[in-house]
Amino acid sequence: MINTERPFSRRSLLRVGLFGSAALAGAGLIGSLSGCSAEQSAAGFVQLRESDLLMLRRLTPTILEGAVPESSMPDAVRGTLTSLDEGLAHLPPAVSKQVSQLFDLLSLPLTRGPLTGVWGGWEQAQDGEIQAFLQRWENSPIALLRQGHASLQQMILMAWYGRPESWRHCGYPGPPVI
Amino acid sequence: MPVTDPFAEGIARGWKTHDGSRLEKDITLDADIAIVGSGAGGATSAEFLSAAGYKVLLIEEGPLRSSQDFDMQEPAAYASLYQEAIGRTSKDGAITILQGRAVGGSTLVNWTSSFRTPAATLKHWADEHDVKNLSEQSMAPWFKRMEQRLGIEPWPLPPNANNQVIRDGCAALGYSWAVIPRNVRGCWNLGYCGMGCPTNAKQSMLVTTIPATLDAGGELLYLARADRLIVDKGHVTALECLAMDARSVAPTGRKIKVRARHYILAGGGINTPAILLRSEAPDPHQRVGKRTFLHLVNFSAAQFEQVINPFYGAPQSIYSDHFQWDDGTRGRMSYKLEVPPIHPALAATLLGRAGIDNARRMEQLPHTNAMIALMRDGFHPDSAEGQVQLRSDGTPTLDYRMTPYTWDGIRRAYHSMAEIQFAAGARTVLPLHNDASHASSLGQARQMIDGLNLELYRTRLGSAHVMGGCAMGEDPRQAVTDSLGRHHQLENLSIHDGSLFPTSIGANPQLSIYGLAAKLSSQLAERLKNA
Repeated sequence: MINTERPFSRRSLLRVGLFGSAALAGAGLIGSLSGCSAEQSAAGFVQLRESDLLMLRRLTPTILEGAVPESSMPDAVRGTLTSLDEGLAHLPPAVSKQVSQLFDLLSLPLTRGPLTGVWGGWEQAQDGEIQAFLQRWENSPIALLRQGHASLQQMILMAWYGRPESWRHCGYPGPPVI
Repeated sequence: MPVTDPFAEGIARGWKTHDGSRLEKDITLDADIAIVGSGAGGATSAEFLSAAGYKVLLIEEGPLRSSQDFDMQEPAAYASLYQEAIGRTSKDGAITILQGRAVGGSTLVNWTSSFRTPAATLKHWADEHDVKNLSEQSMAPWFKRMEQRLGIEPWPLPPNANNQVIRDGCAALGYSWAVIPRNVRGCWNLGYCGMGCPTNAKQSMLVTTIPATLDAGGELLYLARADRLIVDKGHVTALECLAMDARSVAPTGRKIKVRARHYILAGGGINTPAILLRSEAPDPHQRVGKRTFLHLVNFSAAQFEQVINPFYGAPQSIYSDHFQWDDGTRGRMSYKLEVPPIHPALAATLLGRAGIDNARRMEQLPHTNAMIALMRDGFHPDSAEGQVQLRSDGTPTLDYRMTPYTWDGIRRAYHSMAEIQFAAGARTVLPLHNDASHASSLGQARQMIDGLNLELYRTRLGSAHVMGGCAMGEDPRQAVTDSLGRHHQLENLSIHDGSLFPTSIGANPQLSIYGLAAKLSSQLAERLKNA
C-alpha cells in the first residue's frame, strides 16, 4: 500500500503528518477508525453516509467548476451525488469497502487534517484549501493518496457526465431514438 | 421501426433458464457438460457441444439483459453489464479493466473488432510455449467457420470521423492501415456497441450461440457465480455456485450445486484463474493466475476544426499495425493503434484534470478525436505481466507490474499517436497524462512527451482485453492445460477461454477465442463420444 518505490523520507513523513502515514501503513488502523464513522447510509441514499455527503458536497463544486453555471451548481451537485450513490451501490463489497475507507480518510477528524490539510471541517474549507488538498494528493509520494485522488476525481466526473443535464455543456445530443 | 428481442421471444417459447437471484432454497442441477461463463469461449463451446447431442448447462455470474433493456445510457450499462460495475481495476487501481459481466459476457459490450490470431503469435506460442497443432493452417478452418457464423466481414461503410483520423494520418505519413472486420449483421452504424447493441445487429453470444444452445435443449443458469470445484483424486465431482442478487453485486446465501460429466471453465482472464485458486485445485508448479496480460492501453486526444462526434458511428473500423511487428515478434514493446468510442461519462474520466481545465476539454468533445495504443505485452521477458490474486472475500484482483520496457512502449506510442493526429490535420494534440497540455505542433508534442514522468496514476491506462492466467502448453511446469485445453492435473476439466493464451495476442481477442473454443469443443466432443 505504501509506495515502496520512493524512499519514505523524513520530509515526506512530516508533509503527510505522522498520524496520517501511520493510518495508511496499517489496514488495522483503518479498520479501527472505520468503527468511529457512521455505518448507516444517509436518508434518501443507498450507500453514501452523512459524513461522505459533507465532504462530497464541498468537493463536487470544485470538481465541476466551469462545467456548470454557478446558479445551477446546487442542482448539479444534488444530481451528481444521486448518480454517484447509485453507481457505488452496484460495486462489489470488496471495492465498495475500499471506497468507504477512502471517504473515511477524508472525513474522520483524526485523518482529514493531516492527510488533506483541511483542518477545520469541510463546510468551512476555502476554495484555496480544496485546491491545495487535491494537488497534494495528486503529487503525493504515497501511492494510496495518488490512487485516492484519481479515484475521487474520476468518480465525481463520471457521475455528473452520465446525466443528461451535463450534455449541453459537452455538445452531446444524447443517444438516437430507435 | 420496432426492434424485436429474440432473447425475450426465445424465453417465451420455452427456453430453460434459471435465475439465481430468485432462488428460495439451494438446488442441484445436473448436466453432461457444465460450462462456466457465457462469453466468447463458453457460449461457443455450448453451441458446439449441444449440437453434438450433449446436455449443456451454461452458467453466468451476471444478469440477463437483452435488446429491450439496452437504452444506450452509460450509467445503466456500466452498472449492469460490466465486471464490478466498471469498478474493476488492477490491484493498485491504476489501470481500468473493462470486461463484460452479463449473459453474453464481454461479447455483449465489446466494440465488434474481429481479427484472426496473427500468424506470428501462433508461431511464437509453438516455438516458445510448447503449444502443439495451433498453426495458421490448422486454425484457418475454425476461424472461417466462426467468421461465417458471426457475420464477420471488413466494415463496408465509410469510417466515422474518429476512425478517419487514423486513415488520413497514416495515409499522409505512408504508414500501413486497414479496415477492421466486425461481427455485425445489418448494423445501423449507431456506435453504442459498448452499452449493449439495441438493434441485435452485433452478433454477440446473446443473439447467436446462446439461443442455439437453448433451442437444442441446453439450459442457462444466470446470476450465479461459480465459486469452487469439488475435487477428488484428480477428478472434479461437482461445481458449487453462489446465487447472486438481482444486480449481481453480492451472493444471496443460496447455493447451486452442479454435477456434470465434464466441466469447462470459460469465465475469461482473471475469473477463470480465480475459480481454480478458490478451489485449491492442484497446481504443482504454481502456474495458475500467472502470466496474465492486458494489451495495456494509453491514450491521446486531438482537437480538430471539423466536427468529429466520437460518440456516434461504428466505434472501431480502422486500425494500424504499423508499429506492431516492425521490431520482430520479440523486439521492443510493440502496439496496435485504434480509436475508442468516447461518450461523456467515460470521456470525462479520460480527458483528465478537474474543474475549469476538464470543463474546457469536455466542451470540445464534439471536436475531439481519441486514439489508443494497445501494448503487445507478454512476448518479451521484460514485458509487464500480471498475477491473479484472491482478496480476503475470495473475489479476484490482478496485480499487474509495470516495467521500464513497457513504459518505453507507452512513450513511443504517445509519439506515434501525436504524429498521426497532426498528419490528419489536428489543431492540437493532448497526450492523456496528468502533466500534459495541448500541443499545437508535432515538435511541441514530441518535446512534451519526452519530458513526461511516466508513472502510474499520472498516466491514463486502461485495458479491454484480459488474456492468460491459465496458459496452454504441453509442459505442465509452464502451463495449466495442454494444447487441447485439458487441465494437466484434473481429467474431466477443460478451459476454453482467453485465459489459455500464453502471451497477449496482438489483436483484439474475440475471434481468437471463438476459433480456439470451436476447435477445442469439437475435439472434446470426439473424446467424450469415444470414452
